[in-house]
Amino acid sequence: MAVDGKNDSLTYTNPAMDLMARLPGVDIFTSTVDRLLTWGSSNSLWMFPMATSCCGIEFMASATARVDIDRMGTIVRGSPRQGDVMVVAGTITVKMAPRVKKLWDQMPEPKWCVAMGSCAISGDFYRDIYSVIPGIDTVVPVDIYVPGCPPNPEQLMAGLMRLQEKMRAQQRGEWTEPEIRPETEKMNTQPDIRRLLDDERDEGISQAQYDGSCSLGMHGNEHRRHDQVGNPVGVDREQGVEALILRAQAHAQAMEALRQEAAQEFAAAQAAKEAKAKAAAEAKAAAAAKAAAEAEAAAADDDASVAGDAADEAPAGDGETP
Amino acid sequence: MTTAEKVAALTGTEVQELETEFVVAPEHHFALAELLQSEGYTFYITVAATHFAGEVPNKKNPEGSPETFQVATVLRKPEPGASSFACWRVELAAGEPIDSLVPLFEGADWQGREQFDLVGVVFKNHPDLRRLMMPEDWEGHPLRRDYAIETAHPPWR
Amino acid sequence: MSLSIQPYSAEQPVNPYLDVDLYDPDADLMVLNLGPQHPSTHGVFRVKLILDGEVIVKAIGYPGYLHRGVEKLCEKLNYSNIKAIIDKNDYISPMINEQAVNMAFEKLAGVEVPRRALWLRSLLAEFQRIASHLIALGTFGLDVGGALGGGASAFMYCFRDREMILDVFEELSGCRFHYNTHCVGGNRHDVPAGWDRMVLPALEVIEARLDELVDMMVNNQVFVDRTQGVGVIPKNLALGLGLTGPNGRASGIDCDLRRDAPYNAYGEVEVRPAVRSAGDCQARFLCRVDEIRESARLARLFLAGLPEGPISGTKPNKGPTSVKIKEGRCYVGLSTPRGELGTYLIAGGNKGLSPYRLKIRPPSLHHLASIPYILPGNNLSDAIAILGSLDPVMGEADR
Ligand code: SF4
Repeated sequence: MAVDGKNDSLTYTNPAMDLMARLPGVDIFTSTVDRLLTWGSSNSLWMFPMATSCCGIEFMASATARVDIDRMGTIVRGSPRQGDVMVVAGTITVKMAPRVKKLWDQMPEPKWCVAMGSCAISGDFYRDIYSVIPGIDTVVPVDIYVPGCPPNPEQLMAGLMRLQEKMRAQQRGEWTEPEIRPETEKMNTQPDIRRLLDDERDEGISQAQYDGSCSLGMHGNEHRRHDQVGNPVGVDREQGVEALILRAQAHAQAMEALRQEAAQEFAAAQAAKEAKAKAAAEAKAAAAAKAAAEAEAAAADDDASVAGDAADEAPAGDGETP
Repeated sequence: MTTAEKVAALTGTEVQELETEFVVAPEHHFALAELLQSEGYTFYITVAATHFAGEVPNKKNPEGSPETFQVATVLRKPEPGASSFACWRVELAAGEPIDSLVPLFEGADWQGREQFDLVGVVFKNHPDLRRLMMPEDWEGHPLRRDYAIETAHPPWR
Repeated sequence: MSLSIQPYSAEQPVNPYLDVDLYDPDADLMVLNLGPQHPSTHGVFRVKLILDGEVIVKAIGYPGYLHRGVEKLCEKLNYSNIKAIIDKNDYISPMINEQAVNMAFEKLAGVEVPRRALWLRSLLAEFQRIASHLIALGTFGLDVGGALGGGASAFMYCFRDREMILDVFEELSGCRFHYNTHCVGGNRHDVPAGWDRMVLPALEVIEARLDELVDMMVNNQVFVDRTQGVGVIPKNLALGLGLTGPNGRASGIDCDLRRDAPYNAYGEVEVRPAVRSAGDCQARFLCRVDEIRESARLARLFLAGLPEGPISGTKPNKGPTSVKIKEGRCYVGLSTPRGELGTYLIAGGNKGLSPYRLKIRPPSLHHLASIPYILPGNNLSDAIAILGSLDPVMGEADR
């Protein structure tokens, strides 16, 4: 699915075909030529590997003697200008993502994208990490997903065959809805699920995500003071190490000030709590004394059995006060 | 005089065995590396900085404790047949810089940059202290304990 | 003004922090960006080259395009779950990566590993070493020969042979790679019946074909011209940078942890690491070839001497919280195909269930750190050969 909601590969029309379609009486001819072109391009998929990590090794293995994916008419080309299919094989990080987008934009139309491996599909178990893109479909539109960690070369081959099928079906006007992985769809409909499509990102969701992640990212008694201080940011490179030292010291001082503030707050809270407890204890003692005095007075007034009842009440009241 | 004794004399700490991590004051860090290099520990192995976030004030510890850093360095003696390593650590207060070992070991360059990038320990006298792993516009140091693992980085993440 | 930069030598070291003025009309320098998406950088590594004509004046390396935050993730995971993540670090030799973290955990937890598991680990490590070096040789062939030149044959041959080892591993653990076959205290998968009938022929075939490969490469004048005397790393620089493994041994550092600080079952056999002194691309290539032969010999030894007994000291499937390390810190190193893979562990995070800090010493990052020193003074075309001969794995360098 494209980032902007359109499926790029469907909007393409061949200019030559366009021209011919406008000439009278060539409908039958052009549809034949169209089919011929699709047949040709689906049988000569030139792959541009965006191989970043482990899946890239399986991608390489699929191009070698045992599996020999070349017999499907595919050729691996190292340049985006010569590729039809971009195979994203491996984890894409925040630092790499702008390059992926750039290279995808450099590929000539028509173009397709295959997401190979769990990392490219959803980020795999790295998806919660600060530097990993949770699924390449948030950056470029994906046509075919090939699951696995890593997928076998045979699986990649099956994925490419499915892509060929898709290309032919699209020529007939079928299979035109963009393929969305179920998770992305959920992200669209349920805002409480993390949603990372870039242009529709909203502040509230970001904050909610961040809050949720803070609880996930930390153990027990580590605190979130840095929320208030902010993260140390980079300094101008010209200023050198001294500036970095100063920055680190300033950050440490801010954190230290916050710690002392927190300690004071804590001490104040403790003191307040103690005072409250003391007051409660005093009140309790006073109540007990009052009850005892009443009991005494009652005993003085009435006979022995009534005095016994009042004396029973006092300890029960004691038990409740704390 | 064995190497361990020399190290003990230089740093003024009890050192039984160099392979068991021992603590060294920050001002002895560079001199110790120099000494070990002349003693045959010429192989630069690694540096590992760790962030200790400290504690929030709580019942047991009403003052809380400040954040600190520890930087461990490992050097190896490449001796055919019996190789051994030396491992020591320096304990730093927050914001305190540590001497860089770049004048002695070229490998300390990128390793120091990596630890600066991820943990935020500043290496004094480093010729080129920049981020190594994260993009240059990244905020914060991800391996700090108070850095949330899922931090967003719009528009990409 | 013309800059005359000579390749690194002990007498005339290269200054990697050289100040160059790109806008000086007399110097007439050019900036060339190599990577991060370039087939010859072996992953996503970027080098900014500043060229004077065809000679490199300054090289600036930018790793980090595959930084997946593994160390942070490990702080959140239980000890028994970490190995599955560490597999993906050095994805060309996952077997040995699992062993590295497990060794650290076992050392701190005080878990005894049975003797059979130790031998099995060594055996698997040697197989993995062969597979990894085959990739290194094959891709080096591709770098030096070019995809449409003779290099593709070396690439194809090496991957064909590697498949045999993957078959062996698949038989054992069910996966082609990312095996997840070690656990704290032993192994999970025992040797299947009749495994040696599959393993021994594979070793024989690989050794026989290796001679063919060496013939093809080393007796080829083009290959010799492009690798001999190119990218020389003197011993002192290699020590300072921390070049371990075949790269360090090609520069004359006689250090191999399998022999010098034996772990697993390596103390019980004799290991003869290949050491060369030239320090150039060809020496690194030949070191790897020799290591494949040595590994095949060791693998046969380990297979023949595999002792009887249990393969795991602890009961398997005890749940993710079965390993608990309250405190302690240690550094352990072992020898992967790339060099010394160290694990620096501070235990005691998450009430003893996860590490407080797990720092991995990636040999590849140290190898890449040599780029600013050895590229200047060489031709642009040599940069590809030098990068290929270092055999970096970015998954491990960036983590
Ligand atoms: S899906 Fe698995 S094998 Fe593929 S890149 Fe991700 S971690 Fe590596």
